[in-house]
Amino acid sequence: MRNLFLFLFRFRGALVFGLLEIISLYLFITNNSYQRAAFFNSANAYAGVVLAKRTQVTDYFHLNELNQQLVAENAALRQQLYPPDTVRREADSVAVPPARTDSVRRVRYRRPAARPDTLLLGQQRLPARNPSYPLIPARVINNMLRNVDNYLTLNVGSRNGVHAGQGVVGAGGVVGRVKVVTEHYATVTSLLHSKTSVASKIKRDGTFGTIRWLGDDPTHALLDNVLRETKLLPGDTIVTSGYNAVFPEGIFIGTVDSFVKEPDKNFWTVRVRLGVNFSNLTYVYVVTSRPKAERDTVEARTGLRPEGGAPR
Amino acid sequence: MSGLRFLVVQLLRFVLYAGVHVLLISRLVLFDLGWCFLYLGFLVFLPLATPMVVQLLLAFSMGLTMDIFYDTGGLHAAAAVLLGFVRPWVLRLLTPRDGYDSADTVNVHQMGWQWFSVYLTLLVLLHHAAFFLLELGSFRHLGLTLGKLLASALFTGLALLIVQLLFYPVRRGRN
Repeated sequence: MRNLFLFLFRFRGALVFGLLEIISLYLFITNNSYQRAAFFNSANAYAGVVLAKRTQVTDYFHLNELNQQLVAENAALRQQLYPPDTVRREADSVAVPPARTDSVRRVRYRRPAARPDTLLLGQQRLPARNPSYPLIPARVINNMLRNVDNYLTLNVGSRNGVHAGQGVVGAGGVVGRVKVVTEHYATVTSLLHSKTSVASKIKRDGTFGTIRWLGDDPTHALLDNVLRETKLLPGDTIVTSGYNAVFPEGIFIGTVDSFVKEPDKNFWTVRVRLGVNFSNLTYVYVVTSRPKAERDTVEARTGLRPEGGAPR
Repeated sequence: MSGLRFLVVQLLRFVLYAGVHVLLISRLVLFDLGWCFLYLGFLVFLPLATPMVVQLLLAFSMGLTMDIFYDTGGLHAAAAVLLGFVRPWVLRLLTPRDGYDSADTVNVHQMGWQWFSVYLTLLVLLHHAAFFLLELGSFRHLGLTLGKLLASALFTGLALLIVQLLFYPVRRGRN
């Protein structure tokens, strides 16, 4: 027994080192697993207060830039108040290009409900007005974009009605997803996170895909799972598909920058230029979605989400 | 008595380094590649005779504090604990011909430029290598990571050198 204690004492350095490393790596790995709860993060009350104070100070140094952002957004919102005279125009049945299964290669006609007129797409209403997705305005008080896994901290929390798992959008498009909430603060998994994936689609023809971030460039992301038969154009708009019920349908994500066919894959590798400029993100909106709980329940009951799926 | 004094002094240094790092330095990114890990100064400039276990615990708490502000779970803590563990080895490797004096501290004026630069380069490079490879979790963007590593090491090294030149006494034995 005495020898054991002597042994432990002799190698106490290595033992403590091993123990502390195991604790840190455990915390690091559970933190990175995207949807697991984390205890030590900046939504914590003390860290939140420090970060909020720092934001108060640094705000003075870019008030100008901040005002310009808000003015631009105000202008965009004001624009919506005055609908152009074409807004009540109903789309006729329109010619759509042949679908990829159509062997005859003839032009088919569809009802406008299935495929909207591309000319009218630009005048679509902002999906944020959808009453089932009210917005909670929030201020970004901590932000990073050069790491492999990036997070934001917002100055809203459970008191304002924010819950973990809700989506976050900015004026430029999708920003991320709430990870941890405390009473006054919330941590957001940014779109620039190695585990983020956003269900999205190409607005022009409705092809579905998944947006992922590869970890190198904060202005671009990758659109995955687009079949090789799909016709793509540079400049195509990518929007959310609303499939994972975090974001409403049709929120802007970015535009197609370039695309290549890789020899060993069934899918296009599409580079997407992101709409949000993460380097000067200041005001964002948390998207609450009411029907989600019910939808989760029914999907869990069908067995689509075996382990309870979405975070609460 | 001296133990209590040690504890109070280190606590003050901890708060100072962590505060300056979180409030000022953490927003600084050089050419999108280089971060300044100023808080490493707290660990690198600890007294030479600090017991191993104390050193590891201090490294862990400093790393965890940074993790809370960076939302990185235990990434900073893991790299900092590794730094704390390797420091005695580096010190032993660099022992002067006649051993360390009892009054010796990690001080560029006392130990000389050569000793100090080798000491700092070794520790900072090791810490950054552990940090960035762990953050990446794989070897995908090796070039970018290597760039980050070198730029950050240069940035951190220069910042810590400036701290030394500004705040550490030139004359021997005052601290």
